[in-house]
Amino acid sequence: MLDKLSSSLKDALKKLAGKAVVDRAAVEELIRDLQRALIQADVNVRLVHALSQAVKARSLDEQPPKGMSVREHVLRIVYQELLRLMGSKAEVALGPQRILLAGLQGSGKTTTTAKLARYFQRKGLKVGVICADTFRPGAYDQLLTLCGKVNVPCYGEPGELVAEKIVERGLSSLASSEVVLIDTQGRHALEKDLIDEIIRLNEITRADHRWLVIDAALGQQARDQARRFHEAIEVDGVIVTKMDGTAKGGGALSAVSETQSGIVFIGSGETLDDLERFDPDSFISRLLGMGDLKSLVERAEEAITAEEMDVTGMLRGKFTLRDMYKQLEAVSRMGPLKQIMSMLPLGGADVPSEAIDVTSSKMARYRVIMDSMTAKELDDPNIISGSRIHRIATGAGSSPDEVRELLKYYRLMQRALKGMRGGKFNLQRLMKRFSGM
Amino acid sequence: MFDGLREKLRSVREIFGTSIREASTPPAGDAPPAKGEPGLAERVKILVTDGELVLTERQIQAPLQELEMILLENDVALPVTDEILRRVQKELVGKHRGIGVSPESVIISALRGAIVQVLGEGFDLAGYVRDHKRPVKILFTGVNGTGKTTTVAKVGSYLKKLGFSVVIGSGDTYRAGALEQIATHADRLGIKVIQHKAGGDPSAVLFDAVEYAGAHKMDVVLADSAGRFHNRVNLMNQLEKMKRVMQPDLVVYVDEAVAGNDAVVRAEEFERLVGTDAVILTKADMDMRGGAAISIAHTVGKPIMFLGTGQGYDDLMPFSPDRVVDELLGGVG
Repeated sequence: MLDKLSSSLKDALKKLAGKAVVDRAAVEELIRDLQRALIQADVNVRLVHALSQAVKARSLDEQPPKGMSVREHVLRIVYQELLRLMGSKAEVALGPQRILLAGLQGSGKTTTTAKLARYFQRKGLKVGVICADTFRPGAYDQLLTLCGKVNVPCYGEPGELVAEKIVERGLSSLASSEVVLIDTQGRHALEKDLIDEIIRLNEITRADHRWLVIDAALGQQARDQARRFHEAIEVDGVIVTKMDGTAKGGGALSAVSETQSGIVFIGSGETLDDLERFDPDSFISRLLGMGDLKSLVERAEEAITAEEMDVTGMLRGKFTLRDMYKQLEAVSRMGPLKQIMSMLPLGGADVPSEAIDVTSSKMARYRVIMDSMTAKELDDPNIISGSRIHRIATGAGSSPDEVRELLKYYRLMQRALKGMRGGKFNLQRLMKRFSGM
Repeated sequence: MFDGLREKLRSVREIFGTSIREASTPPAGDAPPAKGEPGLAERVKILVTDGELVLTERQIQAPLQELEMILLENDVALPVTDEILRRVQKELVGKHRGIGVSPESVIISALRGAIVQVLGEGFDLAGYVRDHKRPVKILFTGVNGTGKTTTVAKVGSYLKKLGFSVVIGSGDTYRAGALEQIATHADRLGIKVIQHKAGGDPSAVLFDAVEYAGAHKMDVVLADSAGRFHNRVNLMNQLEKMKRVMQPDLVVYVDEAVAGNDAVVRAEEFERLVGTDAVILTKADMDMRGGAAISIAHTVGKPIMFLGTGQGYDDLMPFSPDRVVDELLGGVG
């Protein structure tokens, strides 16, 4: 359904192609599709309206700069207006500071606190964490366990019912820490007692930053909640969690616009390293359901050097086990294959889900098996016969079935890649189409 | 909950009403259209003049767009909004309004019809437990942070108050602190909880919980599970295994009332991958809109069992679609 939506957006963009003047009807159609895409991504209805008004006015009034096609012109306006929605750039200082985390129940504050601890720790700072959640059973145990994994001191007093006392004692106990993170109890804007509590916690801690943790799935409600939190403690940054699901995170934009701040971090997984700095480009791509080529290219550059993987060769159908080995190796550095696939604009290409749904542990096994193959076998998998399978399995300490499974996976990938070239999927053409954004 | 949506729906009734009244106002200018509610005399006049009235698509276009915005602003997901609009339009266009039928009642019945259809029926858990072979096994599923564990405790408390004996299987062996959380809840409520070590196989825990219930002639087994995203194949496989091992009578999908459009996507995936028999919506107290309820109910086509309305164990409200619709539309019709 979402794919349908983004493809209709692409169709609307296509209609603008080759036009000499900006066509009012085409722009209106584009805006309608844009509105639907954004609303579907949970962006606040009012923000969407304001944005579409601006896009419309600018597209029709502004003259396209010389040498820029109509489509590029409109796309650029859409992009610029979207970028404005993202709010100001929130800087993260790497120095002594106190950070208070607030948010609704179940938005992922505790996990995020531990992730932040890990983040600052990796930057070489001495971090301490205070658990000020006196309500939810197990909250302290959870934070303690998570902090224990990365050796960050965690202050908490199970049994103490007054959060203010815990925080006061925690601050003196963690006096030697450079960065102090305060995890608070989940609360929503309508709970007056809890809002009063967080105001007091803010006063006690004299926090340098007050970050609002927002679940990516939060809908239109995000606006009201963010406003109330902002009224209470002047939120100066937003963290979007659970971006590893299918939610688009549009609610966070409402929060950003209410608090006049920006998105600081994105939480995208369950382990403590799954915390990324916010990147507006990839966020926009996700909102619109369009491939995020820019960040994919950057990530790929980090993980593989050019000569390691012969992309064009692969698309031509020249895909050997050796390529797959490199691919698996690269992928394990880049993150799950599914995530990468989701970043590619594969609108038309039919990649079988079995090809994507290979778990990371399996990938590791596959690499071990391939380590037992000869160079000849890696270059030409077709020569792998029954007896070779047996030898490989013995060498890798696995079963012949597992080797056969690997070969099956290889053929699946090969077929999928073949399907990508020509026809519906033309990488170069797509690259071109997106370079306008 | 639903307050926001109710207010807005009131205003849309006004708009629909106006456009229908406009449609029915005679072209002659001798009776200028009155502002606000027309008096009884005027209504009779319209009815006498027109007798019957047929609405055209054009006439209700503007109010329909208004209705669309209202539904979207209240977190009703886009596809579900489209569906409601389609139904209202189908109901209204070409409709003959007979003598003596007010515009309001035409609109209300169209809206009521559309919303009742998407909301479906409620689910009587107590009745279900009474009518089924003991122990009744209930598995709770959902994504991270929707409030599964708290909900399990609340449902446990609800059933216990009704006189059923309850055992909880702590199937969340993954999240740090989850074991302590459920143990504390169970302790406060005086409910037995079956637990293994952190990181253990959740299916084994649930199997033990079912065994325990059988051996001790318990009425209900409530199986908690770790939150997981529907796009994680291995975690969904694990959930599927838990289901295979414990053979639940009911799979209850837990989501939050504040979720936006993604509510539809994940409800659909959970239904497809492990099935869903009923839905519980949590955090209804922080949402005055209630759109997610409509979205999820429509997408999954399964009844909503409870609404979670607060942090206390008693903050669990059985869901009754008729009452919701009455509340939304002001009980007139």
